[in-house]
Amino acid sequence: MTAITQLNPEQRLAIRRWRVRRATTYLIAILLAFWILLPIWLIMTMAFSSAQDVRAYPLYFAPIPFSTETMQFFIDADGILQSTLNSLWVAVLTMVFSTLIATPAGYAISRFVFRGRDAIRLGILAVRAFPIVILAVPLAVIFINLGLYDSLFSLSLLHTALVMPSSVLVISSVFATVPYELEEAAKVFGCTPFQAFLKVIVPLVLPGVAASAIFAFVTSWNEVFAAILLTLQNRTLPAQILFSLDKSGDPFKFAGAFFMLVPSMIFMFFIRRYLFNMWGQITK
Amino acid sequence: MRKVNLTPYLLVLPTLLYLILFFAYPMVRSLSLAVSGEDEYLDILASPDAGAEVSGTLAMQVVVKIVDRVQQDEVLPNGRTRPVYWFQVQGLDINRNEVIGWANQRYLFVESRAESTEARVTSGVPVQGWTLQHIERMFNDFRFWSAIRNTLLLIVIVIPIQFVIALIMALVLQSGIKGSSLFLYIYAIPLGISDLAAGMVWYSIFTQRGFLNSFLDRLGLIDTPFIFIGNDKFGWMMLAIVLAEVWRATSIVMVIVVSGLQGIPRDYMEAGEIFGATLWQRIWHIILPILRPSLQVALILRTILAFQVFAVVVAIAGRDLIPVLANETYRWYNQGDAGFNNPNVAAAYAGLIMLISLGISLFYLRALRSQSEQAAL
Repeated sequence: MTAITQLNPEQRLAIRRWRVRRATTYLIAILLAFWILLPIWLIMTMAFSSAQDVRAYPLYFAPIPFSTETMQFFIDADGILQSTLNSLWVAVLTMVFSTLIATPAGYAISRFVFRGRDAIRLGILAVRAFPIVILAVPLAVIFINLGLYDSLFSLSLLHTALVMPSSVLVISSVFATVPYELEEAAKVFGCTPFQAFLKVIVPLVLPGVAASAIFAFVTSWNEVFAAILLTLQNRTLPAQILFSLDKSGDPFKFAGAFFMLVPSMIFMFFIRRYLFNMWGQITK
Repeated sequence: MRKVNLTPYLLVLPTLLYLILFFAYPMVRSLSLAVSGEDEYLDILASPDAGAEVSGTLAMQVVVKIVDRVQQDEVLPNGRTRPVYWFQVQGLDINRNEVIGWANQRYLFVESRAESTEARVTSGVPVQGWTLQHIERMFNDFRFWSAIRNTLLLIVIVIPIQFVIALIMALVLQSGIKGSSLFLYIYAIPLGISDLAAGMVWYSIFTQRGFLNSFLDRLGLIDTPFIFIGNDKFGWMMLAIVLAEVWRATSIVMVIVVSGLQGIPRDYMEAGEIFGATLWQRIWHIILPILRPSLQVALILRTILAFQVFAVVVAIAGRDLIPVLANETYRWYNQGDAGFNNPNVAAAYAGLIMLISLGISLFYLRALRSQSEQAAL
């Protein structure tokens, strides 16, 4: 073995240069993470400070002393609990509808080669690009005419249209990761196509489909523009908060922001592996 | 002839039907709402008699000359009579032609029925049909042009910053540093954050007793809190909105760029490194050209979404200080105290946003395609 401790100056320079570059990369990575996390930290500080500390000036930069007073005040505020339940209900409906309708389409697009497949894919993609503001006004008018206005159900119908393209694309990319041979093998061993699907494919795609369902949930939970247009009494949480913005003080806003952030951050953690499924295939 | 396999069509059918019902149809309905509605016109008559022949049609609020007047007795439903004036008026009709004819006093505003020489048309008969009145109202609204300006300004400032940051994020993630999956999660967090929550988060920083003032105060740089959000603080409010938008919506560009980068063969990068290309040269000559399709998708998506910027603006600047297109759409639709309860003008805004988005997408597709075609020649 030759000793590797004997380096000529040129090699040393190269190593030093490499180290500097590595350190710079880490520095940039950490700065970018700091840029994302700092505002979240600050709003959490506010949400878990006492009412007195939230109104103090200058503010503290950490939730010390820790207090749930502000958070409690927000949750007890008029209409917050009910609108949270409304939001959950709309999000669950959206999740169920979009998954039920999009799964067969996703399967077809990944498994079959058929005339018009690319057109359908492109059309679905185009829908992804033009949603909410354009859609909300006419749907509100249509729902008023049908007597379906101010209903959580109709709002979930709109949210379903909103997430449908993403659901189809994610689900089709999930199916694409499961080799077709597995399905064939199951059929060879005597399964009907449906049984093969149920017993072999479903367990393999379940995590991916669940990710797409969670994504639908988060999208619906966060959506505010259609929610304020389509509901009057039955407000969802974002609609309720937006309506109360003018009349409410800073503690309400700070706690509300944090309250809305928490579920999305948790859900993003679970679906982070699938983020690229959605966009990987679009750019092909 | 081979039999066509219907299975895939049946599987895709529910999605297609759903999108036709809840996407395509509302879009069409939106456009038709924007250009249909009731217009009011006043028909003036050849003689002072409700059954007489129509001699011209006047638009609302037109001022006309009174040429002649007669007083008649009108019979009321209870059998009594009351004196009513008919005026012979002369003015320009809806096609700018000079017309003359008689109209009952109830359609006109006249200061003195016996003496005035001018009248204003105040009511008429509603006519259902195509109309440009909603679109005119949109264009004539005093907030319209500032809404257009602010929306475009935000797009022009926010999107380039987002693309630079997203590219840096993607390069950092691809550089193979330790903990890159943790960094990926952190960079992707804003994907799940709603625009409303993001707006309120940045509001907490920029509000008068917020974190920015607190920070400056702790450093001893200011004695009294500086006001960032207020009537004459356009620049500061825009800065807060830009930061919130960059913070919230860069992740989606990052995800698309990372997906695109994964498609770049390592050989390309290594070749670049071996031949001594600097980082800048590699970005400019290897990474960006290969990323073009991804960037195109990201650019279209971000631009179209940027036209819908709404809750961030409302959360930071309130409803009135910074008008943007989506906010105006809501203002016109809104049935509450702060709104105009006019879905037609709201639909005009929605249609405008749709047309601009469509136009920009086509422009990007063309611009980026012609570049790559030129490169191929």
